[in-house]
Amino acid sequence: MNPNPAPSLPDLMKSLGLRQKPGWVSRLPSGLAAVLTNRKGLAGLVILTLILLMGLFAPLLAPYDPFHRAGPPSAPPDFDYLLGTTRLGKDVFSQMLYGARASLTVGFVAGIAATVIGVIVGISSGYFGGRIDEVLTFFVNVVLVLPALPLIIVFAAYVDKASPLVIAIVLAATGWGWSARVIRTQTIALRDRDFVLAAELLGERKWRIILIEIFPNMFSFVVGGFVLGTIYAIIAEAGLEFIGLGNPASVTWGTMLFWAQRNAALTTGAWWEVWPPCIAIMVTAAALVLINFSVDELTNPQLRAARNARRIRRYLRQRNRSPDVF
Amino acid sequence: MRFLVQRLFFYIAAFMVAVTLNFFIPRLMPGDPATMLFISLHGKMRQDQFAALKRSYGFDGSLWDQFVAYLGKLAHLDFGISTINFPEPTSSLLFYAAGWTLFLVGLATVVSFAMGIFMGIYAAWHRGGFFDSVFTPVNVMLNAFTPAIVALILFYVFCIHWRVFPLGRAHGLDDQPGWTWHYLTVLVYYAALPVASIVIVNFGSWHLGMRNTMINLLNEDFVVLAKAKGLSDRRIRNQYVARNAILPQITSLAMSMGFVLGGALITEVVFNYPGLGKFTLTAIQSRDYSFIQAQLLILTASVLIANLISDVLNVIFDPRLR
Amino acid sequence: MSSDLIAPMPLLQVRNLTVDYIGENAIARAVNGIDFDIAEGEAFGLAGESGCGKSTVAFALARLTRLPGLVSGGSIRFRGEEVLDFGPERLRKYRWNEVSFVFQSAMNALNPVMRVSEQIMDTVRAHQPKATGDEVRARALEMFDLVGIPSRRLDDYPHQFSGGMRQRIGIAIAMCLNPRLVIMDEPTTALDVVVQRDIIEQICDLKNNLGFSVLFITHDLGLMIEFCDRIGVMYAGELVETAAADQILTAPRHPYTRALGQSFPPLTGPRRRLEGIAGSPPPLSALPQGCRFSPRCTSAVALCGIEVPTLQTDPQTKGQVACHLAQ
Repeated sequence: MNPNPAPSLPDLMKSLGLRQKPGWVSRLPSGLAAVLTNRKGLAGLVILTLILLMGLFAPLLAPYDPFHRAGPPSAPPDFDYLLGTTRLGKDVFSQMLYGARASLTVGFVAGIAATVIGVIVGISSGYFGGRIDEVLTFFVNVVLVLPALPLIIVFAAYVDKASPLVIAIVLAATGWGWSARVIRTQTIALRDRDFVLAAELLGERKWRIILIEIFPNMFSFVVGGFVLGTIYAIIAEAGLEFIGLGNPASVTWGTMLFWAQRNAALTTGAWWEVWPPCIAIMVTAAALVLINFSVDELTNPQLRAARNARRIRRYLRQRNRSPDVF
Repeated sequence: MRFLVQRLFFYIAAFMVAVTLNFFIPRLMPGDPATMLFISLHGKMRQDQFAALKRSYGFDGSLWDQFVAYLGKLAHLDFGISTINFPEPTSSLLFYAAGWTLFLVGLATVVSFAMGIFMGIYAAWHRGGFFDSVFTPVNVMLNAFTPAIVALILFYVFCIHWRVFPLGRAHGLDDQPGWTWHYLTVLVYYAALPVASIVIVNFGSWHLGMRNTMINLLNEDFVVLAKAKGLSDRRIRNQYVARNAILPQITSLAMSMGFVLGGALITEVVFNYPGLGKFTLTAIQSRDYSFIQAQLLILTASVLIANLISDVLNVIFDPRLR
Repeated sequence: MSSDLIAPMPLLQVRNLTVDYIGENAIARAVNGIDFDIAEGEAFGLAGESGCGKSTVAFALARLTRLPGLVSGGSIRFRGEEVLDFGPERLRKYRWNEVSFVFQSAMNALNPVMRVSEQIMDTVRAHQPKATGDEVRARALEMFDLVGIPSRRLDDYPHQFSGGMRQRIGIAIAMCLNPRLVIMDEPTTALDVVVQRDIIEQICDLKNNLGFSVLFITHDLGLMIEFCDRIGVMYAGELVETAAADQILTAPRHPYTRALGQSFPPLTGPRRRLEGIAGSPPPLSALPQGCRFSPRCTSAVALCGIEVPTLQTDPQTKGQVACHLAQ
């Protein structure tokens, strides 16, 4: 009287191809575990770490001084100059390494600053509500709606030779809007949860409630905002320096492109002045995007559930059945 | 309706913020345009010339007087005299260049939105399949590239290496402007690569946004109900899922306008397209302050109008807002 | 068994139904081999705490198990046919023509950007492609009449209706093809008591007029006793007792059912001390050995913690109970 008995749980796991979580994974904090178990996120993290190390150890790894002439002008890549030299004779490879330092620093500083501003504004707006919320939301919306680049152009035109640090500050000042909006939504959702109400009733001070109860629960959103902010900063910085708004004397991937354009590198065939910084920016951006994929899965568990969908569908197909709903 | 009026007030307020910023940034920096010019000319300027210059830039009198004068000029669409193309007023240059930029951006936005949305719908519907596992990450990564790079690559490959597309400009020197079929084809031909570089960078975000929103919707009760009711897959996909998923994308459309304009500026520089970007670059290099400030206002106005259009679209598509 | 040969074939026969939820590295068995029948024209209620698996059963019966859920075993026979073996075409005819579903929250069950009339009409059109536009619209009007919503509101959007009316629209959609079994997953939980009463009475009327069976899922035992003919009680993914509605509180045979009864205050009669059930249901990842209720059961004996009790049918009352102590 037991038609079609279901397989035992271990048997079912085997037929689906599921494996137990390896011990070391469960000992990690859930955020880190999520990034490491997602193949795309892991790849992104590895690439980013490599580039970070490149930039960090630039003084040790660079064979020449990137700011001064190191060899014959416009020399194609060979053993002495791994990536050739620019029109002015500077070593492209050394510039790449130092450029990594500068570009990544600007990217991360701007990203962190934008995220910090966004989190402060978002949490205050969401938690305190009322008038503060109205005023802050207005500013968030303004920052989101006004186009950043024209504003930065006006600013940079008057500043004259903006150093990478100044660019970082300006980028942070224009890029905090999205983080603020997302954090505000999350704060509002968390503010009414029981554990926050309990802390308030117990008489906890406001800042403690924010720091200890609310903030840890939206950590994945903060990280997501930071990753996106950094991507925006790296791209925007390269773009700004490319059109000449930065300090042409500094060495970043963006200024390398600026000089390449100035020297008509593409038309004269000096491809080595153009492609290395291009590829470097593309790879860094790609790495951050991959990391963002796993952060996305963290903040949106639905996407993670979709991963198993394929396995279940295959299992059903093997038994000549179809999934009920998608 | 009330919703639209509210949004309109917000946009006017935002525009006022831009106008105010535009006024204050130059005045917060050390020096003013007149002094800058004075220095660059190595002091070869008479006192009355200097004073006249200062007045024409609006830097004389108290701060409040300056602000009032500034607003007055704006109301008359008087952006000052351009220094690069003296004595051409800035406004005529501005509107000419803005026209080209808006043409480029408008075309690029329509194309990338349409491409991205359709690819996103397909990827969501066949999620986990070949298209989704390959193209979704690829498109998203393209989205992270700076427009400068994509523009450079396209320029190199299609303009220099394989001379398929022209090296710059919006139309050939001999082409007569007018509403002829020939002229329109010429326009599209010259705009093809700049539009392509903007599209390549932008369509990934529509793809991902639409795909993720649709996947989230697939678990909603009303979608499950649609499937239970026995409706065809196509009807469920189009009328139940996509029609709901597109609403947040329309909102994002508005938010992304600022970003697209930024990318367009850089693309114009690479392709020598006579839009605001190229003119702004020249303006920066020659310190044409009137133009630089004017471009901010024009671009801000365009973005705000685009936002308003997106709000109108939202009201049309979402019955809950009516 | 002999009783099967005498009684008419039940409309729905569920045997050993098992539904699992597939996680990243583990599987949770939400429903563990349950058996029950529903006769023609009968209202069968499935009661239990949140998380006991009753909604999962409801979805499984209508073949609406959402990923990552999976029906891993058992059989569901509708008028003798095995529902789990239905291919896509047969499934389309099964769902909505023969079995339909009413969701818990009508707010989420209606497409917010589509007119309500359209949501009824596309169903009719999908199953009766030969029907003309007028016929389809007439049917929609008929359904609105049936559930008591004025016909002039037929072309409104879902957000323009109140919660109660939206639930009625959900019922109207469920009825539009005259199904034989309507599965209702907590249809009144999201509504206030007055509206609840209305809706239940409406469903009763419809049932008496059209003669369909109902599978009624809720955690409100009192509501269920009024409305249903027979009730099944679920605990931690298993069916622990089924009995006639008037017996379930007056003559409960399973300790859990007894404890449930004692946690309901009677409206009349002497005041009585309420007793909740100490503890909470076991997590699916750490199920106790033997009977799943034994850790919280006040009458548990040593055997309860070792051997799993099976569902036994009482030949007299036709009720079933899974308890070592009820034999």
